Amino acid sequence: MHETKEKHDFEPKIVAFVCTWCTYAGADLAGTSRLHYPSNVRVLKFPCTGRIDPVFILRAFQRGADGVLVSGCHPGDCHYMAGNLHARRRFAAFRGLLDFVGVDLNRLQFSWVSAAEGGKWVEVVTDLTERIRAMGPMEEFKALETEECWSGELNSPELQEAYNNI
Amino acid sequence: MNSTAQKLETSTPIDTSCYADVTDAIRKEAARILADGTVTAVVGYKAGRRAGTTMPAIVTDPAEAGGLIFSPACVNNLALYLTKAKKDVVKKGRIAIVAKGCDMRALAGLMGESQIKREEIFIIGVVCAGVKGSGAVNSEPLTTGNLARKCRECTVRTPEGADLVAGTMPSLPELTPVEALEMARLEAMTPAERWAFWKEQFSRCVRCMACRQVCPFCYCEQCLCDKNRPQAVESTPRPAGNMAWHIVRAMHLAGRCAGCAECERVCPMEIPLNLLNRKMALEMKELYGFEAGLAPQEKGPLSSYKEDDDQSFIK
Ligand code: SF4
Ligand code: SF4
Ligand code: FES
Repeated sequence: MHETKEKHDFEPKIVAFVCTWCTYAGADLAGTSRLHYPSNVRVLKFPCTGRIDPVFILRAFQRGADGVLVSGCHPGDCHYMAGNLHARRRFAAFRGLLDFVGVDLNRLQFSWVSAAEGGKWVEVVTDLTERIRAMGPMEEFKALETEECWSGELNSPELQEAYNNI
Repeated sequence: MNSTAQKLETSTPIDTSCYADVTDAIRKEAARILADGTVTAVVGYKAGRRAGTTMPAIVTDPAEAGGLIFSPACVNNLALYLTKAKKDVVKKGRIAIVAKGCDMRALAGLMGESQIKREEIFIIGVVCAGVKGSGAVNSEPLTTGNLARKCRECTVRTPEGADLVAGTMPSLPELTPVEALEMARLEAMTPAERWAFWKEQFSRCVRCMACRQVCPFCYCEQCLCDKNRPQAVESTPRPAGNMAWHIVRAMHLAGRCAGCAECERVCPMEIPLNLLNRKMALEMKELYGFEAGLAPQEKGPLSSYKEDDDQSFIK
């Protein structure tokens, strides 16, 4: 019954921000139906997609995520009526911005997964994981974390010269 | 970078003779409305300490209305002083404000966000042939070379919807849309090239927050970017925090920014912030048909929705 676990050189870290009412329940259903999906995804539960601030996505990338998934209720099914419809606009705008600063949008996936769609959850997560695996690690934001604006050197020739000119 | 790029171009003088009439009209109107009690204060411009500069002024005495001026150095967007965050600046009563067309957009936006009420302000609109860009020499007259980037593509030279419009528009020489060309250049790049471009730009940011302080729409009393428990945006001027700050700034102003380019003007590090604003404005227009501040709107594009909004990017 168990599939043999494949070994990969690169295991991407994927952060999933999901709404508790639909996608979280959908992922739960996938579990209780004993469906398999990559364990690369770390699920974070929110009351609604309307609560998922674009800054969370940014933070995930900065903290080392190779890919981010945001998922919630289908339009019309939001527990709070229109949280997902507001979120839809916000994320559309955020995608445009990320693209403009040069982030590859293939690393960011949005989806609607209902509580009954355990199968769709598996499909979304598997597709995203495979795509990111092929793309390799997300280096851009991680590199920024360790960079400094200045060399950190206190006695560079430039500084010496400036000092001597005082 | 902004100013030097423009200097390469041969400069033709811009006719600013109308600015004298505008100044006269502002003074007369300000004295009149202060004297008859229509308003309690006029927010306008007065001459700065150095020749050829101006600074914002709040006039409450009709006798001082003669100090108000309008010139190509009147760069500030005075709408900033009318937000609730600046409640000590303007205390009470109806306030008059001198506004260029681009400032009027910010006023409309602020009305939509319930920061000001139309009936509580009196707008002295001015026709504007343009103001100086950053790096322009104070003693030089206005030319196509030192004109601000935003003024090259201005569509609101004669403001609409003001209580009074001062001056008549002169005819202008042909202007190259420097910023639009720069936008096109960036759009044509690959994502990796754009990342390199912005990374270099943002790495210069010293996090002085001048861009936030000058923005009429950054009126939050507590900014997300100042919070440290939890900290969403690192506050030290390091590459990671800078990137986050600029992404958050652009995102929080999406669908609200009036395009006054004040943020770019005040930036001591010459970071082309208005390119980001412009990108977001383009997105809002393409996706939701929204244009900032043409008329006060109760709900901005990101605080409203339609059932049939595009969701082609959602699985
Ligand atoms: S973001 Fe910049 S251009 Fe937009 S309203 Fe604020 S100061 Fe003006
Ligand atoms: S004004 Fe310029 S240097 Fe200052 S915080 Fe804004 S972008 Fe950074
Ligand atoms: S409750 Fe699921 S998206 Fe709003």
